[in-house]
Amino acid sequence: MIKLSTGIQPALLLLAAAALPAFAQQDFSGEWAPLYHEDGPERLPGPELADYTELPINDAARLRADSWDADRISVVEQYQCRPHGADYSMRGLGNLRVWREIDPVTQRTVAIHTHLLAWDSERTIYMDGRAHPPDYAQHTWQGFSTGVWEGNMLTITTTHLKENYIRRNGVPRSDKAMFTEHWTRHGDYLTVTTVIEDPVFLTEPLVRSDNWYLDPGQHIGIFGCEYAAELPKPEGTVPHHLPGTNPYLHEFADYYGLPYEATRGGAETLYPEYKSKLTGYKPPDHCERFCVCTTLFNCNLR
Amino acid sequence: MKILLTFFALLATLRAQDFSNVEIQTLHVQGSVYMLVGGGGNVTVQTGNDGVLLVDTNFAQLAPKIMAAIRKLSAGPVRYVVLTHVHADHTGGTEALVKLGATPAAPAPALLVAHINVLNRMVTPLPGDPAVPQALWPLDTYSTPFKDFFFNNEAVMVTHLPNAHTDGDSIVFFRRSDVLSVGDVFEPDLYPFIDLARGGSVQGLIDGLNKILEIAVPAKYQEGGTLVIPGHGRLCDEADVVEFRDMVTIIRDRVQDLIKQGKTLDQVKAAKPSRDYDTQYAAPGSFVTPDAFVESVYRSLKK
Amino acid sequence: MRRVVLLIVVSGAIYAQGPPQGRGPQGPPPTPKAAAPVDFTGYWVSVVTEDWRWRMLTPIKGDFASIPFNAEGRKLGDAWNPAADEASGSQCKAYGAPAIMRVPGRLHITWADDNTLRIDADAGTQTRLLHFNGKPSGEPSWQGYTAANWERPLRGSGAPQSGLGATREGAQGRSLEAVTTLLRPGYLRKNGAPYSANTVLKEYFDLSKERNGDTWFAVTTIVEDPQFLSEPFVTSTNWKKEPDGSKWNPSGCSAR
Repeated sequence: MIKLSTGIQPALLLLAAAALPAFAQQDFSGEWAPLYHEDGPERLPGPELADYTELPINDAARLRADSWDADRISVVEQYQCRPHGADYSMRGLGNLRVWREIDPVTQRTVAIHTHLLAWDSERTIYMDGRAHPPDYAQHTWQGFSTGVWEGNMLTITTTHLKENYIRRNGVPRSDKAMFTEHWTRHGDYLTVTTVIEDPVFLTEPLVRSDNWYLDPGQHIGIFGCEYAAELPKPEGTVPHHLPGTNPYLHEFADYYGLPYEATRGGAETLYPEYKSKLTGYKPPDHCERFCVCTTLFNCNLR
Repeated sequence: MKILLTFFALLATLRAQDFSNVEIQTLHVQGSVYMLVGGGGNVTVQTGNDGVLLVDTNFAQLAPKIMAAIRKLSAGPVRYVVLTHVHADHTGGTEALVKLGATPAAPAPALLVAHINVLNRMVTPLPGDPAVPQALWPLDTYSTPFKDFFFNNEAVMVTHLPNAHTDGDSIVFFRRSDVLSVGDVFEPDLYPFIDLARGGSVQGLIDGLNKILEIAVPAKYQEGGTLVIPGHGRLCDEADVVEFRDMVTIIRDRVQDLIKQGKTLDQVKAAKPSRDYDTQYAAPGSFVTPDAFVESVYRSLKK
Repeated sequence: MRRVVLLIVVSGAIYAQGPPQGRGPQGPPPTPKAAAPVDFTGYWVSVVTEDWRWRMLTPIKGDFASIPFNAEGRKLGDAWNPAADEASGSQCKAYGAPAIMRVPGRLHITWADDNTLRIDADAGTQTRLLHFNGKPSGEPSWQGYTAANWERPLRGSGAPQSGLGATREGAQGRSLEAVTTLLRPGYLRKNGAPYSANTVLKEYFDLSKERNGDTWFAVTTIVEDPQFLSEPFVTSTNWKKEPDGSKWNPSGCSAR
């Protein structure tokens, strides 16, 4: 072992530290509480049946969603404890903890870890440049994530996601999707812009952004889930609506006086020029549903 | 009928294919079990002090590459080969791998295990099918619901799935490793081939998938735990099988409903009952097109 | 030998920090336009993937879902009267700075001069001026007065610092931050969800380039209005860059 004289060691340390590239990286470590100041009713109590607004979905996604029966969660035990995927998790359905894993020798960040309240979901975002697994590797709910810094913005790429949903009223997201996030921190606010690319169900990337605020007093408990046969049915029963038979498809449009076609989603409906097609909007005189909704505790039907 | 002809035409094409560019990739699944990917069907490899057990054997042309991959995992002799079903992309490499897998310490040939219907199909192929060399015939067959034995420090449980992908399907459960190798009853990214001519049926396939779900136990929140090696495609677990089972069940229900309405096969196809699953499961190059899958479901239900 | 090593090490450390500061004659600091770490100029379209029925349509009267109103804010919101707004010439109440970035439409962002970023919105034909290093002045207006900066770190002057193994990576980030005051009372949404003249609007603009080549920016909007809100109202809106202004479609304000 080569012994360095005492004068050289601090100098070498100085060189090592100064040689780090001058990115303006952020630290996202901490306890983050989600803000529901956007799409509160959809994210908190949950999306209404046949609400496909805001989504650039194709016909396949529409039919899958029209066929979806919420009974599937009760009847098919394997759905009962199914967690949200990494992408849906970042719609902020739960409180978030972030911490870094630092290599003790190099002091470089090896990975960033997240823990979400919902289903105790944990994700590792590798920051060490490693490659994603091959195509034949297992898919998981949280997928496989790697991150790179772009100035003060962390860009995360996630692959190997299991099939899940874009919205928990049956709008699917396939296992061929790729999920990109851009994390920025401004003071005590965390903004996460998410990009879902799904060649199976989306005609263009779905780009959204959600916000959290730093809450050092937050304590995330255990979510917990256990299977139980809630509605005993013959083995192998898969509740679904046959095409053209779902009786609930017009409810959402009727509640809010919306043109039915607009509730079917699609990329065209996302752009300003679509406003000219929104004829037939007949809203009720006054709000009757989810008029106040910013937290789990005040998001009531009326 | 068309799908059957297409299947064998494809197999013939594959047999004539240049496999020199095929790479065999190895993935450690868990415990003593590995998965080899490339070429034809996935090969499951179990290793340990007792030797090597294979589930399925891919194509004959790939046997040297497959054995090279196995030898990176174990120097032991191949003592068991379990065949999940009769198709050549899962059985073609049997003779070569058994020969290559013999060692001076264990010169006796490996035991070839399969359901008796696999042997029957090989001994008496369908008219027009090529003869199957005797060296590929499994002689350690079973005709009971299941067969089990102990190998490499764990129970190996081979279960018959009647009239599923074919009439000779087996799934193999490595109990300590907690791995299921299931053959072509489940392929996460492909519509299943229901080989009606060889006794396959849509209801049998669904029953088989439900059997897999009965055996598999996830670790936490529907992930991990029992891992499932499909006939083709990526490593999976119970949740992946659920999605596939749901797809087959829903399309079966839709076709059944159309049959009840008195629709003909052409009318059922025109209704496109699988259209919301096609982009996911109709892989480019797969001979099981949406129409072919719908037709096989239709014909199975009409039997 | 030790002296030689130390000389090499120290030289390396200085080199890694960048060009020397405060040594010899220096030019004037770059203008905000010249110092822009990212480029927000161009035409942008709002892609409404959030709050669709509150943005693409005039929301139902009394529908304040997701807005953290207090009782006073809710009460005023419930009294919304678009006819009265039209009569008083206040059709643009829902197009003020705290709301305009949520209104579906297009933006045209340019540099009005080296220190002023200009945002034109075709919806409501509104113009915002973001004054770099500016100080609020003038009368209250729908767009108020916006002071902007390329976001600086919480501490430090912006130059990198290091010593004894610790480094403060002080280089500026890629975000644009803006603070708007001097606002006329307006609406957060078209159905009369109010904000007061006491409102302070903070915004952070972040640019990203996606795998398919699209360029987007997200603007995080923080509305602080202690008169009507029980906490800051925080939204983030996504805009996609367009190749040109061919879809630019100016329209007037509408109270309904």
